[in-house]
Amino acid sequence: MNRDNAGPGQNGAAASDAVLELVGLGKDYGARTAVQAIDLVIRRGEIFGLLGPNGAGKTTTISMACGVVPPSRGTARIAGHDIRSDAFAAKRAIGLVPQDLALYDDLSPRQNLAFFGQLYGLTGAELARRIDWALGVAGLGDRAGDLVKTFSGGMKRRLNLAAGLIHQPTLLVLDEPTVGVDPQSRRHIFDSIRALQARGMTILYTSHYMEEVEELCDRVAIMDAGAVVASGTLAELRAQHGAGGLEVEIDGDGDAIAAAAAAAAPLGGTRTGAVLRFEPRPAYAPALAAIEATGAQIKRIGAQRADLETVFLALTGRGLRDA
Amino acid sequence: MLIPTLRKEIQLLRRDPRVLVRLIVLPVLFIAIFGYVFNTDNSKQHEARPITVWNGAGGNGELITRALDASQMFAVVPAATARAVEDQVAGHQTAVGLIVPPDFDPMHGHPATLLLDPREPPQVAGPLRGAVVGVVTRAVLREAALPDVVAVRAPIGATSTLDELSSAFQLTVPGNAVLFGFFIALTCALSFAEERRSGTWRRLLASPVSTWQLLFAKLVPYIALGTLQVGLLFAIGAFGFGMPIGGSLPALAVLTVGVACSATALGLLIASLSSTEKQISSLGSVLIMIMGLVGGAMFPRALMPHVMQQVGLFVPHGWALDGYYQLIVGKGTGFADVAKPIAAVYGFAVLFTVIGVRRFRFDQ
Repeated sequence: MNRDNAGPGQNGAAASDAVLELVGLGKDYGARTAVQAIDLVIRRGEIFGLLGPNGAGKTTTISMACGVVPPSRGTARIAGHDIRSDAFAAKRAIGLVPQDLALYDDLSPRQNLAFFGQLYGLTGAELARRIDWALGVAGLGDRAGDLVKTFSGGMKRRLNLAAGLIHQPTLLVLDEPTVGVDPQSRRHIFDSIRALQARGMTILYTSHYMEEVEELCDRVAIMDAGAVVASGTLAELRAQHGAGGLEVEIDGDGDAIAAAAAAAAPLGGTRTGAVLRFEPRPAYAPALAAIEATGAQIKRIGAQRADLETVFLALTGRGLRDA
Repeated sequence: MLIPTLRKEIQLLRRDPRVLVRLIVLPVLFIAIFGYVFNTDNSKQHEARPITVWNGAGGNGELITRALDASQMFAVVPAATARAVEDQVAGHQTAVGLIVPPDFDPMHGHPATLLLDPREPPQVAGPLRGAVVGVVTRAVLREAALPDVVAVRAPIGATSTLDELSSAFQLTVPGNAVLFGFFIALTCALSFAEERRSGTWRRLLASPVSTWQLLFAKLVPYIALGTLQVGLLFAIGAFGFGMPIGGSLPALAVLTVGVACSATALGLLIASLSSTEKQISSLGSVLIMIMGLVGGAMFPRALMPHVMQQVGLFVPHGWALDGYYQLIVGKGTGFADVAKPIAAVYGFAVLFTVIGVRRFRFDQ
């Protein structure tokens, strides 16, 4: 059983400070285990990133946390409410923004938001006020009466976000919210997320784009093969799992030089064109010696910054996008 | 939950003109076409067929022509000569010709001659020949003052629905209303698939609503729509095509709600057996058409072989149509007379719902 090191009692979060607690949460589909048994705590007011390749179990995890899929084991508590025994209260505290554009294309944004708001018991003037607010967050106030099917992908993504916000949840769960959006809409979504955090909302953000997670999130958990393999702040993860690397740009027969370097430093050697990268640190000296022995001209030597990609590589032995 | 979902489903359906065509326009067209094709109201629609007759026999021939006219099946067109009758039939100016020769004496081997246009198909030529021979024989035998040999009536205590029809629309309106009423199953099943495809189903599952409430709220709009659809088709039949309704209107309404429940529950069942819109479209269309055919919505069960009549009772269509025919054709028919069909139709709704719910994958 994999247990995340950000689990209860290990991350120092007071129980009252926890907005989402996953306790041994797991899911099997027949003989296949999609999610093993996850322990995780997300604290009030933070943006927590759940990072992992497609198929890592991110969507299944949040589906269980949101009450969409029943867990095979463990449970989730949202704002203190158990998703199994107190499901309605737990669900009221969550706003789910699914990966799909979960909208009615043949309705207007106002009609969509009215319907989703009514599911949470909103009516009358309060519903109208929330709709106007959510439309403002999405930047769609001037298109409130148009049919959704006439919108661009980016506008739909923003409305998808607004639909998850209509009841002003304690915890906003964003499942890959920027898939297929233009840079302008991505920026708008990021700005909205930061503004929501400033209002005190807690956000769980899943993505397989590490740049997004690095830019937005206060803390991160990395998932792979249905388990959390590491979690913490970005600085903690870099310090523990990503020491960075050495980049060497060469001039000469790239294949022969790369082969010689790889033989000398079999751990963590990669190549992109004329640039060779080495990690961890013990590989630096033998690799450089091997390159010099070939007689190749070294054009540049530099340190590679440790990022989530290198952390993931160190943890799983493969690149995030190759996984 | 119920009211917002009802409003949302209506808003979505209003934006889809295909639904309106499938549920209302097509059945009205079918009702009109089949109603006029099979109309049994002679005074309004059934025109007598011309028959060219040369009477060379004097008094006996007069007897025959009067009988042909009186039958209302034929309109006698007198011909000047036997040759003229031959020419008219051969030239396709008339389909039937009758030559009554001067020595007309059937009892002694001198019959009249019936000419039929060879272009007439067998299913028309056969009845025409039978009708002319019957009228002529009866005319000749009545001259001999013979009594009726066969008297026609329904069995005592039995309702011979088809014999009591006063308008073909009493047949085509219920038939098409039931056939197309069950297409609400397809609309309902497709709406489940669309919710799943778009991801809105996931969003609904994440809301503070139980799965039972979710299903109930999702199905009720289609029950309401189906009731409205079938009710509208009966109203069009009654007011637009003059279809008489002899029985109880409240019983008709209760049966109609049962049909809509049964059709909507079938939609849930279809949705539970298929995962994509393509699968639902193909499975649903085939299932609905076969059930309609077996249940007598396209061709009255009363005219089917006995085995097929019994097979028709394994689908809700058969029971629904039994109830509708009794209520529409039978004067003074009430709840008690159609209790069995009503119970059967609601029973199918329960059965489809139970199987549908058991098979339905809520988390997919």
